Amino acid sequence: MEELTEFALDYAESLGAEYAEARFQRDIQETIILKNGLLEAVLLEEHRGISVRILVNGSLGFASTNNLTKKDVKDASNRAYKMACAVKKGLREKVSMDESELGTGKIEVKPQIDFNSIDVESKANLLRESYKEAEEAAANNKIEISGCVMTLDTWKTEKLIMTSDGANVHSLTPRVALSTLLTAFHPQKGSIQRSFDLGGTGGWEIIKKWNLPELFKQEAQTLSEILLFAKEKISGKTDVILGPELVGLICHESSGHPSEADRILGREAAQAGETYLDSDSIGLRVGSPLVNVIDDPTLDGSFGFYMYDDEGVKARKRILIKEGIINEFLHNRETASVFKTKSNGSSRAVAFDREPIVRMANTYLEPGDYSKDELFEEIKDGVYIKSFMEWNIDDRRFNQRYVGLEAYKIENGELTERVRNPVLEVTTTGLWSSVDAVGKELEFQAAYCGKGDPMQGIPVWTGGPHVRLRSVILGE
Amino acid sequence: MRKDEVPSYIVDLALKRGATDVVVKLQDKQHIMIRFSNNKVTVSKYYDESVIDIFLMIKEKRAATTVPLSSTLKLEKTVNNLLKIAKITPPSELYVPLPEGPFSYDPTLLKASRVSLHPDRLIGYVDEAINSALEEGAKKTAGTLNATKEKLILATSGNVHASQESSGLEISIRAFTSEVSSGHFVSISGNEERFNPSEAGRTAGRIAAAALNPKSGKPGRFTALLGPLVFADLISQVGRVSSAFLVDTGQSFLANKIGSQIACDKLSLIDDPTIVDSYGRRAFDDEGVPTRRNIIIEKGILKSYLHNSATAKKYGVETTGNAGLISPHPWNLIVEPGEKSFGELLAEIDYGIYVTNDWYLRYQNYNTGDFSTIPRDGMFLIKNGMLSSSIRELRISDNMLHILKNIQEISKTRTWIRWWEVDVPTLTPYVVVKDLNFTKSTM
Repeated sequence: MEELTEFALDYAESLGAEYAEARFQRDIQETIILKNGLLEAVLLEEHRGISVRILVNGSLGFASTNNLTKKDVKDASNRAYKMACAVKKGLREKVSMDESELGTGKIEVKPQIDFNSIDVESKANLLRESYKEAEEAAANNKIEISGCVMTLDTWKTEKLIMTSDGANVHSLTPRVALSTLLTAFHPQKGSIQRSFDLGGTGGWEIIKKWNLPELFKQEAQTLSEILLFAKEKISGKTDVILGPELVGLICHESSGHPSEADRILGREAAQAGETYLDSDSIGLRVGSPLVNVIDDPTLDGSFGFYMYDDEGVKARKRILIKEGIINEFLHNRETASVFKTKSNGSSRAVAFDREPIVRMANTYLEPGDYSKDELFEEIKDGVYIKSFMEWNIDDRRFNQRYVGLEAYKIENGELTERVRNPVLEVTTTGLWSSVDAVGKELEFQAAYCGKGDPMQGIPVWTGGPHVRLRSVILGE
Repeated sequence: MRKDEVPSYIVDLALKRGATDVVVKLQDKQHIMIRFSNNKVTVSKYYDESVIDIFLMIKEKRAATTVPLSSTLKLEKTVNNLLKIAKITPPSELYVPLPEGPFSYDPTLLKASRVSLHPDRLIGYVDEAINSALEEGAKKTAGTLNATKEKLILATSGNVHASQESSGLEISIRAFTSEVSSGHFVSISGNEERFNPSEAGRTAGRIAAAALNPKSGKPGRFTALLGPLVFADLISQVGRVSSAFLVDTGQSFLANKIGSQIACDKLSLIDDPTIVDSYGRRAFDDEGVPTRRNIIIEKGILKSYLHNSATAKKYGVETTGNAGLISPHPWNLIVEPGEKSFGELLAEIDYGIYVTNDWYLRYQNYNTGDFSTIPRDGMFLIKNGMLSSSIRELRISDNMLHILKNIQEISKTRTWIRWWEVDVPTLTPYVVVKDLNFTKSTM
């Protein structure tokens, strides 16, 4: 494919573009869907093709094709060029690319156990065994698993990125993921649901580490206990401890998204929205000095892993919030050029037919120095929210709501009874300003972050340690 | 081999090699998207794709694939591989043979209206929408224009050989009069004559102008007037979860409610892909079954789930022509109109809230329908039948079934809605809902 990608780039340049980029991407994926413990389907997908981006007099054109002939690739370049030229001067946003140092070379993530070496039957059996564990754990509590969808995805992504200013990066990345929606039901207590994602970069060894049968047993046991024993929700002013699952989501939603420079420029205003930050917000205090939010694509084995972004810029750790102060935005080459800075390697495209845009990778709260016990023991009266189901945040990323699923009352430093659906509905600055202690044990969860038009659901990790919030007002 | 012969060729090949049932769908699609923000075009995109979906069964064992259109040799390998996978796959819940044709299709649904993909024309639409919003007082706009042309060719082992062309235009525009006051609207059409980017821009601009200087809203239960963008988001959820697959997997608040009064008796919801020139027009489903007008809710009573042949057999009913091979889904949703104008609905509210748009709808429990979503763009306090002030920073935190039952009125004017938050084209009125719960941040 190297030859065709190079041909695409050369041809795009020959049209007179001031910048051209060609990307070949192939995603080969196997999906196994289990519905209520029975195999629903096995799906095999191959998405591959070439896209070109062309900059002509500051006007940006993009075209993609999955017909891999020189003629089709040439046609795609011509279309990108024509589309870019068709925008009349007064209507044209003058786009340029920054002067980032660009990478060359090959990056290959080698799995310890290739997931293609495990047959479909064994994979399906693992899911069935996990379902049975959940069913049995629930049944022991006289609870029924009334609905369950499990989707196991394994896929390999190959990317070849070439730009007219010298990037030439070839990458091969295998990923695994499991998505689940589990429903537990009791005739008198009603139903309760838990949705979760697991994911990583690598091979079958990651799935083995998840120990799915044990995990599903625990999840079903927890759901059963919430259904049977959780008391009414607690509202009003109290201290709260958030578990890593929630902390990771909050970092992603209320720190990662607002830091995306394309949002700051209004590029996503009609879709994924804007941000409460503006171009002058570097240095703005948004939280307590204990808050350090990081986004780092280079974490080994992470779901959002990459070493070069989709514009050929080397990936690096980004400190979005440093000691409670906005420190850095996420940039691609286009936004970096506007902000007169350098790209920090945040440009990602989920498929060959999607343009690279500013994205997060693995966003997390940097650990502090409290043990989990220390966090709890200083609370006289509070609530521990370990997991969630419902959440959302406004399009300026300022007003958010998280509704707890597994949650407990804390009395004199001890977890006592389970509580039902505590509601944390707060502003971004209100939340981060109330952090008074940060745990030292970091945990990650997988997620698919949605952004762009057409929508690009991209793999990320979200994470953090346990965090203590003082004097938070829980909603009704 | 001609492109349109490929699906039948693959069906024959798979049958010869041991499949009992085969579906092959070829989609040939050209799609242009123009994105704009701050009143300028930021990127123009052209997508050209030919994709083949193959679904096969060996009795109760099944497998499916999506691959790019490629050489006959490569497609043969794909079929062989898929058969190999299907053979070692554990059996699924039940074996339902594919529906047996041949079927006849409404010829008016098979041909597309003319839609131009010429860049100058499409850029012109963007220009029109932006200028219309600016004329209404907007300071800046952002949005997306989409133009699509698609040919779909379907062949099945049930003696189906069908093809359909479709085309569409859609624009979604958000207008701003300040950082915190905005309006949003759309125009979608399967027919170029009815596409109206200026009206979308004007509506977005008018809402943004009215939304200036918003005050922080107060939480509580209010009578709410929901605009078409909001109600399309809510009612398309109802359409989506009427899929029998979602009912079966705990993802539907409509489970076990067939025949029950789930909504106010003024509400009827229909899935109708048989409307010529509509955006979601479709002559046949993914099993080749002719589509039809399906009543999901009639006068508040849940009449039917949406089915493919497999879910239909499980439920002991006929397929509704909504396959999705795994999960049935709606094509083109329609809310039946009421009798009053927007002005009359507004005039009847003594004290309430008018919400023009929402986004980010998430469930606490799909089964019960507990959810929340965030109003965005213009939101207004209503006093004595008139819009009194612009408000912001509230969240709708309620239950789907509670909202459906609390619908008081439905407008006679309706708009086709589809945008980033609403996948399925939905013909949507304004509605009045009593006791809608609004919450807000506590700190």
